[in-house]
Amino acid sequence: MAGGGDAEDNPVAINVIPMVDVIFCLCVFFMCSFKFKQLEGKFESWLPRNKGAEGTPSDVIKEIRIAMFWDEATSKVRRQFGMRTVDDDGEMTTLIRGSYEDWRAKGEPNVPVIIDGDERVPWSEVLKIVNIAKGLSIDNIEFALGKKDA
Amino acid sequence: MHKRKVATVQDPQSPNLIPMIDIMFRLLLFFLLGADMAARETATMVLADADKSKEIDPNRDETEPETTINIHHEVAGDGACPIYDNGGVCRVKEHWLWSISGKSYTKETIGEKLKELAELSPEDHVDPDAKKVLSRRKVMIRADKSAPYGDVQKVIEMCGTATLYKVAVVGALPMPEK
Repeated sequence: MAGGGDAEDNPVAINVIPMVDVIFCLCVFFMCSFKFKQLEGKFESWLPRNKGAEGTPSDVIKEIRIAMFWDEATSKVRRQFGMRTVDDDGEMTTLIRGSYEDWRAKGEPNVPVIIDGDERVPWSEVLKIVNIAKGLSIDNIEFALGKKDA
Repeated sequence: MHKRKVATVQDPQSPNLIPMIDIMFRLLLFFLLGADMAARETATMVLADADKSKEIDPNRDETEPETTINIHHEVAGDGACPIYDNGGVCRVKEHWLWSISGKSYTKETIGEKLKELAELSPEDHVDPDAKKVLSRRKVMIRADKSAPYGDVQKVIEMCGTATLYKVAVVGALPMPEK
């Protein structure tokens, strides 16, 4: 390290001021560019191997479907569970849980939660539903895709 | 006559700079080691909260092929977007970019890139369901929290078309409590 030794031991005096200047500049540079890393998590969603990503078949009725619409005027998302508009996350959790338990009682534990959203809906709103479903230990979560362009 | 001595201005005390230099070296070392100088796979964005997601293991097997697709907001030519900058939901299509390893792609060009990446790491057998060789490459989709869902849908669809079926979506985990 830089310390140790008496100044009188060393007959050659080194001017350390420029070095201190440079180290200061470097310190300022690294301090300004330093950023703490955000912890990231992932939801794995393996796509069907034989089909790739396709639209959900219209005849599927064994599902828990959440529709999401984007209101351009208010810049807000309207979430619909069946015919019911649900704004509150707690209420949404209760509804999904209730529906999932119904399906499980009917012997359908793999019933999917299908998120059917408008393409303008912010991704955070979609991920919120994924989060709620994961919190209820539902593994089968599907993203409904629009019809392919002809 | 007794000649008076002219007083000279002298600094009798020179500060000892050595401890300061020591500390500054240590600070410099800390910031140097902490700085992320690696080629950025991820773009800067605000991720959506996902507290139930599985933490991405920083020590995961680096030999496993993996690609990160970023869907982030950027205005060309260092321009500003007042809606996005004020925390609003920007729906200007041109402001939403898709990038892989820092290179931007359009809806037309990303398909080709994904196909290229899929071919780099094929599975060693023909999938009995798909009746073709699929890719073992994992794809992580990192989308900004206000990114249009349609963009994420499109990327998932493109991955499926390019035989990339191992898709994961990324969210932000809450900071661990001490």
